Amino acid sequence: MSAPATVTTAPVLSFPPPIFAKLSPSPFLLAHLKPSASNTPAIRPNGRVPSEHRTPTINTNSLTHGSGSAVVRVGDTAVVCGVRGELLLASNIPHPRRDNADRSDTEISDLGLLVPNLELSTGCSPAHLPSNAPGTLAQSLSQRVLSLLQKSDLVSLQDLEILYRPPVTDPDMPDETPETVVKAYLGLYIDILFISLDGNPFDAAWLAVVAALRDTRLPQAWWDADREMILCSDSVRESRKLSTRCTPIASTFAIYMPGTVQQRRSSQESWMLADPDGFEEELCDETVTIVLDCSKGNTSGILKVEKNGGGTVGRALMRRMLSEAERKWHDWSSALEVTDAV
Amino acid sequence: MTDRRRINGPRGGTNPPIFASSLTSPSTLQATRPTRTRRPDELRKIYLKTGLTPSASGSAYLELTPSSPASHQANSLIPVSSSLKLTCTVHGPRPLPRSAPFTLHLLLTTHVKFAPFAARQRRGYTRDASERDLGVHLETALRGVIIGERWPKSGVEVIITVLEGEEDRWWGDEVGAGSNGVGAGGGWGMMNVLAGCITVASAAIVDAGIDCVDMVVGGVAAIVGNSNARRKRQLVTAEGRQTVLDPCPSEHENLEAACVVGYLQNRDEITELWVMGNAGTATEDLVDRAIDAANAARGVLVEAIKEAAQSKFGIKDADNGERKSTAATQDVEMAG
Repeated sequence: MSAPATVTTAPVLSFPPPIFAKLSPSPFLLAHLKPSASNTPAIRPNGRVPSEHRTPTINTNSLTHGSGSAVVRVGDTAVVCGVRGELLLASNIPHPRRDNADRSDTEISDLGLLVPNLELSTGCSPAHLPSNAPGTLAQSLSQRVLSLLQKSDLVSLQDLEILYRPPVTDPDMPDETPETVVKAYLGLYIDILFISLDGNPFDAAWLAVVAALRDTRLPQAWWDADREMILCSDSVRESRKLSTRCTPIASTFAIYMPGTVQQRRSSQESWMLADPDGFEEELCDETVTIVLDCSKGNTSGILKVEKNGGGTVGRALMRRMLSEAERKWHDWSSALEVTDAV
Repeated sequence: MTDRRRINGPRGGTNPPIFASSLTSPSTLQATRPTRTRRPDELRKIYLKTGLTPSASGSAYLELTPSSPASHQANSLIPVSSSLKLTCTVHGPRPLPRSAPFTLHLLLTTHVKFAPFAARQRRGYTRDASERDLGVHLETALRGVIIGERWPKSGVEVIITVLEGEEDRWWGDEVGAGSNGVGAGGGWGMMNVLAGCITVASAAIVDAGIDCVDMVVGGVAAIVGNSNARRKRQLVTAEGRQTVLDPCPSEHENLEAACVVGYLQNRDEITELWVMGNAGTATEDLVDRAIDAANAARGVLVEAIKEAAQSKFGIKDADNGERKSTAATQDVEMAG
């Protein structure tokens, strides 16, 4: 690569794109976002514009065992989510509530009825090879899914309770009506497995959870007083679909800033990349996740905003992200409606 | 047992739901038992696709169509039988860490993991003995096929996730009067899973571009006894037994023996052989039938790999002679 002494301009390097992406990823991304010719638009290496997200493909009810399932493919990220319902007898609860009348909203989280778990060590990417312990990313994603499930009130407690009204035993005291007691609860084990990971695991995992919960069919259950156990009916007609109160959709954005840390302090250049893929996620430090629910005409139902990694995002950029997240809500929720109709 | 790194279920423990229909008399339950509608030498349809995980060196997905009709399934929440669904990813050959001792051959590591929703009873996240056993069998099957001398000081990881596994027997036998016959404790379902694992790992390894002497395919065959004779407690005669390919354990009331082979057709070699049960003098015949099952599955494997090669490398299509070009290779100019 030695240039002859008479040539004053440096030779122009030309490699095929995958080699360049491997050798110098950050300048590669910068060359795409800030092209040398001023009239070419900024475009990412995966072909999307910076504010464009990927469209998901959702398939539900593909697994035989369990109450509900969903397989979601967002670009190259593929997730399988299975929901399984199991019975928790009220007599088994270590510290039960004394009064039945005051059922607070935190009962689902107190009893731990929703159990999401995210598994990344399936070989979905070279960084996630099998080991016995889940890494920090898997643990933090599981915790984020759990907290979002509880805060969003997606599942109502009434769907998960199995009530029993004892028959009237003493006809001499008719004004003493028997109280309806909760004999058991249905706990939902939500297991999320990643088949393939290409950036942005949280959005895909959350969409899979919502799709699987909408697909879940719970059997009709009752307390059999003679056998003193909970029995379920296996008839599909008598079963009921789990009702989800809202449709929260998560949108993740990454902020790309070129150069080293010192250069970033002086320069103001930054780009917002919606729905980052694996290559872009490695180069970005700052991420913002917005969870929205725009159903029932509620245009600004923000459930959660998470922002960490840096201080670039100001109010103007946040507003842009919100409008982009709203667009994504309409796209992804219509994809959910399409799978429901099938 | 609480695992502090995962979100655990409710304290107090949960139990799977018990369905009222399963507590009826055994005779009404027996009426819902599935029976095999395929011919003895007919396999279930295999769906095999490669390239599901682009970030891995190679990947494949295998699915068997369920053999029982879907009409019964529509009325009941209890699934009649499960169909096998496996994904496999191959990472490598990659260099071993410096601390690892020098190896002249490629170091093959296999991992098999059942998903929690893979079986009727929920499985945990920690690997148990049956999964490690499957991993060892799979490694035996693949070790004979890979040309390991070409990659010294390197390792390759084959990771299989079982999204849905095969059952050991019909669920009604577990709940009702109990099950008789060999392997009542388990094991028949594992043989189907192993055969599927061998096939899907072979597809993924070829997708990763690792040199092999041949393509190894998994096949399973079983000797089933006469179910009526069993129920009447008569002696099972030799005429009552027959050998079937690709047995679905929930369809057969008494499996007497089963065999899994990992077979190389071009070299006529077996890399893995696992026989369970008492086949007696018919063991050789059983192994031959398992080889027939492997040959029948090989066609699907070859088709899937051809498709993958065409899309990946732009192989000239023999039928219409066009050259299918690969993705656009526009060079990006970077000055300086």
